[in-house]
Amino acid sequence: MSDNAESPTETQKGDPSTPQQPTEDSGTADEKKKIDVLLKAVGDTPIMKTKKWSVEKGRTVQSLSLFISRFLKMEANEQLFIYVNQSFSPSPDQEVGALFECFGSDGKLVLHY
Amino acid sequence: MLLAFQMFSKSNPGSVSEMASCFLDEKTFCQCCQLLLEHSHSICDGWSWHWVKDPDEGYLRKIALGTGKLRTSSNPNQISEQYPQGTGSNQRQERTASLSLHTDDEDDDERYDDDYDAGAVCCMQEGGRSDVIRYEYHVLYSSSYQTPVLYFRASTLEGRSLSLEEVWDGVHPNYMQRLQHGPWDTITQQEHPLLGQSFFVLHPCRTEEFMMPVLQAALEEQRPVNYVVTWLSVVGSVVGLHVPLSYCTEVRPPPPPHTSSRPLKPPDQQTQPD
Repeated sequence: MSDNAESPTETQKGDPSTPQQPTEDSGTADEKKKIDVLLKAVGDTPIMKTKKWSVEKGRTVQSLSLFISRFLKMEANEQLFIYVNQSFSPSPDQEVGALFECFGSDGKLVLHY
Repeated sequence: MLLAFQMFSKSNPGSVSEMASCFLDEKTFCQCCQLLLEHSHSICDGWSWHWVKDPDEGYLRKIALGTGKLRTSSNPNQISEQYPQGTGSNQRQERTASLSLHTDDEDDDERYDDDYDAGAVCCMQEGGRSDVIRYEYHVLYSSSYQTPVLYFRASTLEGRSLSLEEVWDGVHPNYMQRLQHGPWDTITQQEHPLLGQSFFVLHPCRTEEFMMPVLQAALEEQRPVNYVVTWLSVVGSVVGLHVPLSYCTEVRPPPPPHTSSRPLKPPDQQTQPD
């Protein structure tokens, strides 16, 4: 997985009352290769303008972390930490799909950063 | 209900907010370790508790095997490729495998109160060009910082200790850049406070930085966490120590301070693992 991998797909912003949708024309929910991730900032961390993302299951935490860092234009001396369940920092090599299976609820994985 | 909290007043008069303290007292540290150990035993993750009588302190310990390409192995002039930067996961060496190794013939000076014997489960990456590295991780309590501190050392199977450069090669690229930028919060070589031997230490001064968000959220939502598990999940990732996800879901937080908690004793007196 290179550093310049494609960014997670941004979910479409439609009616706020509708649930977030992946951008791809996937079939049934079971066939989705992507999971919905909701990013929440903690503390003084800047809030991402787009919070909901559709991320491939095989994507690693590190890959996502890199993406967020670049999105937020973080300095080199800043470190981004990602938390799952607001209590645990997953290994950078962990796949988000596995996190979703453990901690996903309401069809999405909430990650704090 | 959570850890020891301190109340702070905001600078704005008339508004008082509750802020979590990122400090951990030693008793809670032991309780957190105890709970961590129970889960470790159940999944054979290899953590054990050791008690040093002289300062009457205990610490967690885990030994793990991993692979990497050391600088002084086959190509002395080649930079180690333990963690190639910016490459795919299929080219990255397997770091510490999720196994545990306890050898009975270790010549350590400390006294073992817990001879946890997990047996060796070999789970190596493809051999040939990789060197096998033995990692030893210790979790100690620092009364100066009032936080846990991670001490570790690494050596080849022949007993050669890894140099600081080789240890740096093993730092996960996700953290490499940041660590290199901060001379005050980095990996240094220090004397183990309890054993007196040379270990590498991940400096604890950044602990507040990554613990505070978790503790603050835990306080606001009245949802306690196990300090040591959370802390270990962060620092472990930096140095290649694998902390399975199940620690997040299965390990309970320590009991509240005001309730009668279980007596603190080295977990070797509890049920033995299989």
